Amino acid sequence: MPIKKQDQSFRYPLHWRIMDVLEAALDILWPRRLARLTGWLLILPALLLVGLLVIGLFQIAENSLRTLDRSTFRLSEDYTLQNYTTILNSATYGWVILRSVYAAALTVAFTLLLAFPFSYILVRTPSAMVRKTLLVVLFLPFFIGQVVRAYGLLIILGTNGVINQGFGIVGIEPIRLLFNFPAVVFGEVQYMLPFAVLMLAPALTAIPQEIETAASSLGANWLRSLWHITLPMAKPGIVGAGLVVGTLTLTDFAIPAMLGGGSQDFIANAIYDQFFRTADQGLGAALTMILVALGSVFVGIIVAIFGVGTLGMGGKK
Amino acid sequence: MISSSQKVVFWSLVCFSVLILSLPTIIVVGASFTSGNIISFPPDGFSVKWYEKIALARDLRQAFGRSLIVSLICLAVSLPVGTLAGIALTRYRLRFGSALQIYLLLPFTIPLIGSGIGMMLMFGNWGILGSLWPVGVACAVINLPFIIWSVSSSAAVLDRDLELAAANCGAGRIETFLHITLPSVMPGVITGGLLMFVLAMTEFLVSLLLTDARTVTLPVQIYNNVRSIITPDLAAVSSVFVVIALVAVWLLDRLVGLEIFLKSK
Repeated sequence: MPIKKQDQSFRYPLHWRIMDVLEAALDILWPRRLARLTGWLLILPALLLVGLLVIGLFQIAENSLRTLDRSTFRLSEDYTLQNYTTILNSATYGWVILRSVYAAALTVAFTLLLAFPFSYILVRTPSAMVRKTLLVVLFLPFFIGQVVRAYGLLIILGTNGVINQGFGIVGIEPIRLLFNFPAVVFGEVQYMLPFAVLMLAPALTAIPQEIETAASSLGANWLRSLWHITLPMAKPGIVGAGLVVGTLTLTDFAIPAMLGGGSQDFIANAIYDQFFRTADQGLGAALTMILVALGSVFVGIIVAIFGVGTLGMGGKK
Repeated sequence: MISSSQKVVFWSLVCFSVLILSLPTIIVVGASFTSGNIISFPPDGFSVKWYEKIALARDLRQAFGRSLIVSLICLAVSLPVGTLAGIALTRYRLRFGSALQIYLLLPFTIPLIGSGIGMMLMFGNWGILGSLWPVGVACAVINLPFIIWSVSSSAAVLDRDLELAAANCGAGRIETFLHITLPSVMPGVITGGLLMFVLAMTEFLVSLLLTDARTVTLPVQIYNNVRSIITPDLAAVSSVFVVIALVAVWLLDRLVGLEIFLKSK
């Protein structure tokens, strides 16, 4: 009976059997009639993970309604709006908020001014080498991280820094380039440039070069074709880039902390101080809520003016 | 056709951008090789003594180790979660699809300081503040849109019929997923994973809020040291990040090509 013997010894390969067990287990755990819900099952972990942020926001909102009891250094049990009125009546916080908004506006303007030609050359250059070089120059800072980049700027702008040493050689007295408002704005522009270019470049890619060629063959000089053709067609990208740069600058912490030296605080720095220096969590939480609201209002205004289409540029397809 | 005056204007602005983007990096790396005790230009001669010093500094070594752990935890959380979400968003018809997308973009729209403070309060209530793994989870949350975006853009090009064909040939659901769906989104998973790892490695603000003196990560350590005094050993530590970034850019270019980011959507 050789055949029967062979039959007995024959077994399916191990991974087939494992797969069968898994499939059977799946049929019990997630029957096929639930197929309609499979998509929701797959997305559920992501929803929960992002839910952490939502719970966190609620926690902040709750804290913002409770004031600090100076005798026990605990937050009060009952809810008031007192933290918000304290902030709105305080000239200090008014200045901090105004400074953040002003810096964000300046940063958007300067960053776009630099990012537009960068993206334009990046997209239009015929040379693959130039394109690759520009892309590497762009991505390297993106991956290096904010602290190290700010540290590099500190070395360059410091009293004994590269620029002042250069001044010394030509006989100019060293000047204070750090710890003032322009230094912070410069740092922000340097930090935001890669983000802006990465938002702008796809929008410029979408513009056929023939249209510009047509404009110039009809007699428009480059400024006119830029103004009437390229800029209007690139508007979604420009608005998207401005949106990202504006919100990121408005809420930034590291650059004002490192290049502003404590004298140029943004809202985020004021929040940090409330939590870690003054330990007034209620006030800090109220400031955070104001910052979140300010950011949302900013996004809302941009979307209201330029349409919802720009939001799609905000990251995910 | 780009006219010559446009060329001059655009190229001078581009050169300025290139200068301000790369000069800090070059200066940091250059300063790390100085043989003097302060950072000065031109450097006082060449030495690697600052690298020897940081290799022996226990706090820096430990901070580097903690940053690595945080990045690995971030990767362990975000890879499965982001991959499944990316597949779900592109391969399944979900109701309220656009609302879901807006919800999943929340990590980008909520200010980082808000996300950080929120998680700090929450983790504090749960009594897990002060350990390292919540920092990794936090890094995964705040950068999650990156990996979802990169997975869903590679899932979008997969032909749906392939999965049906596999099922037709008798493959079960797990088998289809492992042999058809997963390999096809692999480029997106790898790109996303790379982004998540490097961003967690360099993450500063959220780490600052969630760590204490015993759990500082390397970027926070650098920040704390910069506040006290600027010495060349910090430049040497920073050069570590430059090397990481170089490797990341090289890998990204090899894996998907940097040009992919210029494509119009």
